[in-house]
Amino acid sequence: MHLNTQFMWETFLDVLYGIPVTLKIVAVTLLVSAPLGFLMAVSKSGEGRVGRRIIVAYVSLIRGTPVVLQILFLYSLLPTALNYLIKEVLGLTYNIFNLDPIFYAYIVFILNTTAVLSEVFRSALATVNSGQREAALAIGMSKIQAYVRIIIPQALVAALPNICNTTVSLLKSTSLAFMMTVKDITAIAKIDASFGYNYLEAYLVIFIVYIFLCSAVQGVFHLTERNAAAYKRPAAS
Amino acid sequence: MRPFHPQYILEVLPQLIWYLPVTVAVVIGTVFFGSLLGILLAAGKVRRGRAGLVLANVYIYVIRCVPSIVLLFLVYYGLPELLSTFGIDINSAGKGFFVITTFSLLFGASMAEVFRSAYEAVDRGQREAAVSIGLTEFQAFYRIVLPQCVRVAIPNFTNALVNLMKEGSLAYTIGLIDIMGKGQLIIGQNHGSYSLEIYLALFFLYWVLTLLIEKGAGFSERRLTPEKKRGGGASKCI
Amino acid sequence: MLQVKNVRKAFGDNQVLRGVDIEVKKGDIVVILGPSGSGKTTFLRCLNFLERADGGFMEFDDIHTELKSASKTVVSKVRKKTAFVFQNYNLFQNKTALQNVMEGLTVARKVPKAEALARAKAALDKVGLSERYDYYPSQLSGGQQQRVGIARAIAVNPDVLLFDEPTSALDPELIGEVLAVMKKLAKEGATMIVVTHEMSFAQEVANKVIFMDGGVIVEQGSAKQIFTTPKEERTIQFLRRVLKDYDYVI
Repeated sequence: MHLNTQFMWETFLDVLYGIPVTLKIVAVTLLVSAPLGFLMAVSKSGEGRVGRRIIVAYVSLIRGTPVVLQILFLYSLLPTALNYLIKEVLGLTYNIFNLDPIFYAYIVFILNTTAVLSEVFRSALATVNSGQREAALAIGMSKIQAYVRIIIPQALVAALPNICNTTVSLLKSTSLAFMMTVKDITAIAKIDASFGYNYLEAYLVIFIVYIFLCSAVQGVFHLTERNAAAYKRPAAS
Repeated sequence: MRPFHPQYILEVLPQLIWYLPVTVAVVIGTVFFGSLLGILLAAGKVRRGRAGLVLANVYIYVIRCVPSIVLLFLVYYGLPELLSTFGIDINSAGKGFFVITTFSLLFGASMAEVFRSAYEAVDRGQREAAVSIGLTEFQAFYRIVLPQCVRVAIPNFTNALVNLMKEGSLAYTIGLIDIMGKGQLIIGQNHGSYSLEIYLALFFLYWVLTLLIEKGAGFSERRLTPEKKRGGGASKCI
Repeated sequence: MLQVKNVRKAFGDNQVLRGVDIEVKKGDIVVILGPSGSGKTTFLRCLNFLERADGGFMEFDDIHTELKSASKTVVSKVRKKTAFVFQNYNLFQNKTALQNVMEGLTVARKVPKAEALARAKAALDKVGLSERYDYYPSQLSGGQQQRVGIARAIAVNPDVLLFDEPTSALDPELIGEVLAVMKKLAKEGATMIVVTHEMSFAQEVANKVIFMDGGVIVEQGSAKQIFTTPKEERTIQFLRRVLKDYDYVI
């Protein structure tokens, strides 16, 4: 087996430009999905039957179908649908086909991650003992105060390991963004490889790059967990 | 806005379903080989040996970090070259071979965790109690420990299985014709028209498959759970 | 000061409270006894609106309200005049002992931080936990946690303290320290309603003992009356059973 190390080094340098793109997709997705997912988790455990049905169906559909299918579907639907909306309904002249495809990536991954996170938050909220809420109400807090000061902080800590898992699989899923012509890590490697049929080398390079990125994500979460869960540690004395 | 033809979804469904056996075969093949790998890895984690533990942990860590599609391409382009240095020629192997190899590598890592946590969830006292009343080691494992392990393992296994089925849809990217591949093929033949209808049909198929897996898992979990409501006659009759 | 009438509550088909009346004067130590399932905990929880009663009326100083239809403002008013000590402590897991006690002051009652800190420290000192301000609940023993629970309750200067089986979740050797704190509060003139199985506490401290069974008050009177000359057959049987156990424990 012969590996073209010169090509691998050049590909590695090219791929570095894809890292910010990949991380941008991950960060934007998390920033939007986390509050949305949390709201869904809360409203799922609350009243409102119709709303709850819709949320349950949405989560089940998203989690029951492949990400790649969601990408292909939305990428063939959104541009034409948005074009129609802008030109025919709103009467604007903006050319939607000039839109940076990363926005489609945001939409797809936000839709997907929100569903996953809503489940994560739902089970995390369920781990907080109902006595915590009662005690908060009993000392005179309002429901919202009880949520914000007592329940949510504990639920977040309980959710951290699963949020970490979700982030890792989101990071991996972004490797499919090339299907929407986003120039992420995988897309760059693919393009480099296709010039001289150096697929093996190119994929080996990003194999390593993904391991690094994934390790970084997990490292960040481990640190956060250690700081956030101070109240679970035994006394220092 | 191009026209949308809901009835085309119904028209295309039978054509897609024709390739369902391929999708299912990939899943079954992967579950078989992936579970073998998973048992090896779990054994590495549970047994005393330090080398086995490190090896298994590193493997699981790496696999957890790699996108399926990257591994799929690596196996597809790399495995023939790797094996050819040992004089083995697999260039004529079918696409299914590469797909099942890739997903077995991935699925094995998930299964290792499934096996390990199931094994550790069952109290050691169960085996000891079984042996103490005169069962052989094999009987103790087969009659007492294994059924409890299986029940504990079902939820995690179901998760892994659904994931496998979903990720398996990537097989079309190296040209395997399963339901996803057939869908893409039809879209190509139509020069891109009807793509929405075909994707919706695929959504439907995958969703149904997931729900079936989850229903089946729920059913077997209930079957394996000792029923408390069934009037605890046995315990009283001792 | 506090008077409730005809409290009723059902969970599904299960009628847990079938019309319970109680009157509490300032400085009263009311102990509610009864077998498990008699509704005594539910009754206490209804007083603080942790359970919403199906019917009944409450007069609490200037508050006059139906229990069932009490508005948010009334509920909040009642909760600010009372404090609840839970069987399972229910300390906020994400807060230190001191923060647990301050929370009701700063957040619910808008007490300035400096004053809240002083009052919280005083409350913790009173329950004998001056050394444990910065400990998280998971770092405290059950008895210590329950004492923090009591400190959290007394820090807000409630008109009435509600205790829901405060020692039931504790190991036998830790019960004493909690009872000692409760006795001290009683001596200082706190008004308390206590649901408990601790007969010694009822005998020594209570000036009013209520015996509940099947969702109604079977008998009530002074501690002496109930323990030495009970009239109702159900009370006699209950006392015979628990006092036997009680002798046994000692």
